[in-house]
Amino acid sequence: MRYVETLSTDPDSFSDEDWADLRRYLSEEEIVELGMFLFMNLGFHTFFGTLKFYPMFSPDGRLVSQEESERLYGDKPESLQGEAAE
Amino acid sequence: MSRMTPLDASAITDPELVELLGECEELGVPDPVFVRIFARSADQIKPMLRAMLVSHRDGSVDHKLKEIIRIQLARFVDDPYFSNLRSKKAIAEGLTEEMIEIGCEDYEDSDLFSEREKVALRFAEQLFLDSTKVDKIFYDEMHKHWSDAEIMEIGSFAALFHGIHMVMKTYNARPLEAA
Repeated sequence: MRYVETLSTDPDSFSDEDWADLRRYLSEEEIVELGMFLFMNLGFHTFFGTLKFYPMFSPDGRLVSQEESERLYGDKPESLQGEAAE
Repeated sequence: MSRMTPLDASAITDPELVELLGECEELGVPDPVFVRIFARSADQIKPMLRAMLVSHRDGSVDHKLKEIIRIQLARFVDDPYFSNLRSKKAIAEGLTEEMIEIGCEDYEDSDLFSEREKVALRFAEQLFLDSTKVDKIFYDEMHKHWSDAEIMEIGSFAALFHGIHMVMKTYNARPLEAA
């Protein structure tokens, strides 16, 4: 999680010490697997954010229009699943 | 020095991965170093290589323009691996180092690029410099020059390669041959 956070917020600060920290807990196979997962996530969230589209379904599972979805989800990047479960 | 040693070439025996490696070598992006690093997880890298090849090599947007965008984005994050790779296809189609340099730096005042190409370069640049500037007004300008499908192609290409550059930067890898 620290690796992902550094990559997303301050990639220039990533150091040999950070790499050693990563290697202490993850195998090379796990590091490349994590890397490939990040390939698909680091840039696409930024691109999709500019397109201003919203989930097709409300937190309680209803198919909703983009206008209603925008009202439900707004600009806050956090899940509403917990509210739906309450 | 690379933090992740590429596997020996003899370690790649999966026929599908060997075939994809051949396609990558033919294009030049990525080169075998990338494939041999990520071959540690063969099942994961195969769909990723297919996505990279389709996104970069194929599609309806000019390949030379996408190659400039790719190098521009690799330079943004100081990734020494991808910023030094060059597409053999783009070079065969006429892409020069001068076009790359101007396309990455001073394209706005250059006669080398059309307004259509400039708005695409601006789009990729702003997406990862300050995405708040890629707003409805920006997309309205994009739509004067590009179809929805082309905008999705450029945006998805830029998004995919931006993520790849960020990760590769942390590996501190270098290409087999410098550009």
